[in-house]
Amino acid sequence: MLKKTIFYLMVGLAWTFSAQAAEVRLSVAASLTDAVKELVATYQKKTPNVKILPNFASSGTLAKQIAQGAPADLFISANPQWMQFLVDEQLIPADQVRAFVFNSLVFVGEKTRKISAMTDLAPLARIAIGSPKSTPVGQYAEQALTAAGLLDQVQGKLVIAQDVRQALAYAERGEVEGAFVYKTDALLARQTVILLEVPQELYSEVVYPLGVTNAGLTHLPVRAFLDFLGSAEARGILQSYGFIVK
Amino acid sequence: MFDFTPTDWQAMELSARVALTATLAALPFGFAAAYLLVFSRLPGKALFDGLMNLPLVLPPVVVGYLLLLLLGRNGWLGGLLEELGIRIIFTWKAAVLASMVVGFPLLVRSIRTGMEGIDLRLIQASRTLGARWYDSLFTIVLPLSGRAILAGASLMFARSLGEFGATIIIAGNIPGVTQTIPLAIYDYTGAPGGEGMALGLCLVSIALAFAVLIFNQMMVKRLEREHPQ
Amino acid sequence: MKMDVSLCKTLGNFRFATEFALEGSRIGIFGPSGSGKSTLMHLLAGLHKPDQGSIRIDGETLFDDTQRISLSPEKRRIGVVFQQAHLFPHMGVRQNLLYGYRRIPKRQRKIDPQALIAVLGLESLLGRNVTSLSGGERQRVALGRTVLSCPRLILMDEPLNGLDEGLKYQIIPYLKRVFDEFDIPLLFISHSLNEMRLMTDEVLEFQAGQLIGHTTAEDLARRRMGNSQVGYINLLPLGEYRQIGDLHAYSWGNQELVLSVSGEGAAGMFELSSKDITLFKRHPEASSARNLLRCRVTKLFGAGNRVGVEMECGGQPLVAQVVGEAVDDLGLVPGRELVAVIKASAFRRLY
Repeated sequence: MLKKTIFYLMVGLAWTFSAQAAEVRLSVAASLTDAVKELVATYQKKTPNVKILPNFASSGTLAKQIAQGAPADLFISANPQWMQFLVDEQLIPADQVRAFVFNSLVFVGEKTRKISAMTDLAPLARIAIGSPKSTPVGQYAEQALTAAGLLDQVQGKLVIAQDVRQALAYAERGEVEGAFVYKTDALLARQTVILLEVPQELYSEVVYPLGVTNAGLTHLPVRAFLDFLGSAEARGILQSYGFIVK
Repeated sequence: MFDFTPTDWQAMELSARVALTATLAALPFGFAAAYLLVFSRLPGKALFDGLMNLPLVLPPVVVGYLLLLLLGRNGWLGGLLEELGIRIIFTWKAAVLASMVVGFPLLVRSIRTGMEGIDLRLIQASRTLGARWYDSLFTIVLPLSGRAILAGASLMFARSLGEFGATIIIAGNIPGVTQTIPLAIYDYTGAPGGEGMALGLCLVSIALAFAVLIFNQMMVKRLEREHPQ
Repeated sequence: MKMDVSLCKTLGNFRFATEFALEGSRIGIFGPSGSGKSTLMHLLAGLHKPDQGSIRIDGETLFDDTQRISLSPEKRRIGVVFQQAHLFPHMGVRQNLLYGYRRIPKRQRKIDPQALIAVLGLESLLGRNVTSLSGGERQRVALGRTVLSCPRLILMDEPLNGLDEGLKYQIIPYLKRVFDEFDIPLLFISHSLNEMRLMTDEVLEFQAGQLIGHTTAEDLARRRMGNSQVGYINLLPLGEYRQIGDLHAYSWGNQELVLSVSGEGAAGMFELSSKDITLFKRHPEASSARNLLRCRVTKLFGAGNRVGVEMECGGQPLVAQVVGEAVDDLGLVPGRELVAVIKASAFRRLY
């Protein structure tokens, strides 16, 4: 009995250690979930011996995780702020950051709802936004509401979601009257439609910076994956999801 | 660390209000449930006992999700409630409900233990002296369970202060409306640079828990002085 | 009070079945532990449900399974004084006393609380916490509480059992006073023959869940004399006394009994075993015993392997026991004059 236990333990340990060999770890903003999943699947078909492991969450949460020591080779954030945060923490060299894709902010909700301007949002009972403390989409939304002079009016109606996908889910389930999400998320929605494209002058441009961490620099397979991300094939996939690639 | 935003103060006030409301609202039900479990001979007691203890062993998130299935817009009771114009999900009431359900087993367990310690003969004596069952309940069982009720209420109150999983599912994280202290802390933990604020709120949480414990101790001592057993 | 009972109940291995009819106001339920006395008490009070049977008191049916009548305890108006008093610990003495009183309609309140408190000597206890009372005090409060609920019948379940050995009989005068003064029928449950004789007239004897006898306490005592360790206990109520050295001489009929009981002399109830009375044909010349009483045999009765000698001494009854041979030796027949010799130390004070 004891011998068997030890045998299985050794097998298990060997398995966990072997997993380290050829892996690329990605920390990716939640709004890129579907696009990046397809990118990873496409790449894996070409290079099956390298494992790509993506981790999706709100950009702020991801930045925090990396700062606290979570392993990551590449970080894609939905705003420059948290990329800068990691640069300041000396975890990402400044010269390893470049713009990846662009996006825009929209308001989604039920088809039958009539929203033609930001001011139409004020009477709504519940609006979902990502947490402004940890998600770029929430910050952009808050920024837009403030610029439109509506923030005070909607205080107490804002349901905080952990990331843009959860905000979308609230709207899809009908638990809120609408949600601020990215255009790319709205395109994936089933029950809700884009009711309003938030005027760009109300919020900063949504740029997704991509950065290679110090750990990523030493990792050979990372280079190859990065090259793939810049390829025409990859750009095509991103655009198909609604992202703007410049 | 302690320069709280207005939303943070709201979170603290909300936590206290939700916990207090949940505890007070649950007390009569908890008392009744404990009484039924200890003194009645209804069929299906074992099943009732099991159901009632379920929230204690289930992950709070599961409890929250089940409540959502029940009361959400598309839920089993949700449609009916919407017709009556009653909205529970994503309101302050949902936060109270989440705390009530999650804390209920703690309340009942405590009261039950106290009731089981009551000498049945005392109840028998009261009956022979002309008291009906509800008279015995209020004049004998209730006073003698006092200590246990208090302990259960304190425990439930403290648990409510820390309730997160079920709350975030059915009440959501709405600053000023349902964002209690645990939800506020969670929000800060996701934010880079939010450690200080999170810690500040944690300390407030600890202080509140301590306050409840001390209050409980004081009341227990007072009860012992008045009614030595 | 008229009582008509027919009950049976099975509790695990124990089967209780009985049927009796009685009329009286001082009834005893006698038997060893496990004989079913407590079961009977619980069934009468409505605290347990019989498997089948009927209970009728003074024409009212309290239970009848064929008619589906089963009054709950609070409707039976049968008071119970439990072995351990069971006073409500979260209430003071006064609140306990008035608990039942407050729950009966005003017109049924036939007993005056002040009078009862006086009879039971509870004035000094009224403001106190029940947990600080002694065993005897608790039983008196328990009795007071039950009496004040003005029941039609009081069941006392081994009320002296939980009290200190030397002091337990001290509660008897209180019990007697209460039942004499307030005229409530009593069903007294006990395994003590003395208690039966002091408190009851009629006795129902139980054993192993069955009724084996329906007699008087006196008859019971005499029947058991031969098999009892203590013989037949003569219960002697004594009053006036005078001091002789460290002994007390109590007047008894037209004679005196000299006792060497410890403590102060005072009126009360004393016990003397039939075994401690030695009978002489003639007056002994001198004797170390202090009591030499002239008696006349009134009756002889068999009890096991002993013979009970009932005598009349100066107008007072006394029972002694002898072995069979002694009857011939002393020529014991009704009418025979004898001398009963008793040591001063043979007496014991009950209360």
